[in-house]
Amino acid sequence: MFRHTPLRYAALVLLASAALFQAFTAQYFGLEILTEILILAMLVLALDMVAGFGGMVSLCHGALMGVGAYGYAVLSTTAGLTPPVAMGAAVAITAGLSWIIGAICSRSHGIYFIMATLAFGQMAYSYVFEAPIFGGDDGLGGIERLDLSVVGIDLNDTRTFALFCLVALAAMYGLAVVILRSGLGRSFSGVMHNEQRMRALGLTVWRVKADVFGLSGMIAGVAGVLAAQHIMYISPGLMAWTVSGEALVVVILGGLGTLVGPLVGAAVFVVLKHELSSLTTHWHLIVGVILIGVVMSRANGIFGFIEDFVAARSKSANTNPKAREGTKDA
Amino acid sequence: MLETRNLDKSFGAVHVTRRVSLKLERGERRVILGPNGAGKTTLFNQLVGELTPDSGRVHLAGEDVTALPVAKRARQGLSRSYQKNTLFDGLTVEENLGLAAAIYTGNATRIWSDSLGKAEVREIVRDVANQVDLMPFLHAKVSEISYGVRRQLEVGVALATRPLVLLMDEPTSGVGPEMAKGFHDLLNNLPRDLTLLIIEHDMDLAFDVADTITVLNYGEVVFDGLPDAARGSDLLKEIYLGSWEDA
Repeated sequence: MFRHTPLRYAALVLLASAALFQAFTAQYFGLEILTEILILAMLVLALDMVAGFGGMVSLCHGALMGVGAYGYAVLSTTAGLTPPVAMGAAVAITAGLSWIIGAICSRSHGIYFIMATLAFGQMAYSYVFEAPIFGGDDGLGGIERLDLSVVGIDLNDTRTFALFCLVALAAMYGLAVVILRSGLGRSFSGVMHNEQRMRALGLTVWRVKADVFGLSGMIAGVAGVLAAQHIMYISPGLMAWTVSGEALVVVILGGLGTLVGPLVGAAVFVVLKHELSSLTTHWHLIVGVILIGVVMSRANGIFGFIEDFVAARSKSANTNPKAREGTKDA
Repeated sequence: MLETRNLDKSFGAVHVTRRVSLKLERGERRVILGPNGAGKTTLFNQLVGELTPDSGRVHLAGEDVTALPVAKRARQGLSRSYQKNTLFDGLTVEENLGLAAAIYTGNATRIWSDSLGKAEVREIVRDVANQVDLMPFLHAKVSEISYGVRRQLEVGVALATRPLVLLMDEPTSGVGPEMAKGFHDLLNNLPRDLTLLIIEHDMDLAFDVADTITVLNYGEVVFDGLPDAARGSDLLKEIYLGSWEDA
């Protein structure tokens, strides 16, 4: 069950402030990095919903983001739909597909679930790679951004688009919180804790898993639509399993099952990637070492480590009378 | 209310239940006795649908539920507690009860509202917490309460689905004599229209709570009758003294 703690609120305020500061002060390259972080943050938020709160470790979320991106691209270019309609349709298609994948895979657990989702992701990747309608390995270009000029907003401006992505991420975060704190979210969490008992109490477990997986896919679909609009070009590489793997790395790096942690993880990962790749082409090695360090430290990612540290400090302050007296004296 | 007809179940060459037929009336409290390996838990698993019988039927409130999955049987009023606690450890007592109550009230799959905030869910949680003496622990996490209180919660979670029939697999398993006595009172105070089927090794509890007693041995019903008759049964004594082969 997801709970907001003061530390999580503080982290959210800090992250939002940093993003706003960057959005209003950075130049073109900095804004591009910010947008990349925000889109990745949305994808890992979707993944954390199912992996962190339901134990559904998915290796198809990258492909789901790709479905959103390709859906938007094809519907807005080839099919000629207006961007708002194409966006809505692409997100709905991704959510529907995700629900079906969730319903099918919900009967498997652990490594089998991971492999089943990987298979779905690879099927989508292979199909897009070969299908002429999706541009094959050349990908699709000429993708337009949403036109908000009627309300005086120009999303073709890099700064405005970064702010738009920030607002979208905030909305998706709010949606994720509402879902996880709802009856459905509580049941989902109950299933992760004890699936057999939830079934024995009368819950249709597969349906709950499929519903949350579908909603998570919907958020991944929104990330995909934004990714397509960001680069204005998409290729099958967006759907490769490595994208899903990278998203999982980011969730673990940030803190599985915290919602806030993966946002931190996304920021750290993208900044590290850009900083390290300017120093060496083997930047993955360094990120790998950092990930191993995080996993071996037995902390729940960077944010989990901070939460544990703050909890330990507060416990020690509460149980040490001398420290309390010292605080009073001070 | 609950009826089984010739339930048979084998695992390979081992025949675990043999033609088990039981009939429980509404509000009846029946205790199933039998030594370890007698097939009691396997029988429970078949009743709730966690195991499929090789042959035989299960009827709940007059309806054949043999082909129904676990969740559907539960929604029709068949609930169970387990011999080993199967609780939601990271959650509070209130949340544990709330999960079950939300399923019963149809709030477990709502997206836009918190099930624990619903008046009907809160009412069931409070009711059940009163029934099984959990009010003082409502806001404690499962990891923070004692083993005995967890056993109470185990029963409470099953009760929060407002069942017609409650199956309890050794509710006093692992608790001390004093707490076991508390369990007698707890079970005796449950609503009289609730049908109870209890697996129990504690003879005192069995004779204190039961309207009827069924004895299983090697998967077979060897006794079915009133507690007084069971108390005087040489067969029962022999089974518990381990000399069944000679009987």
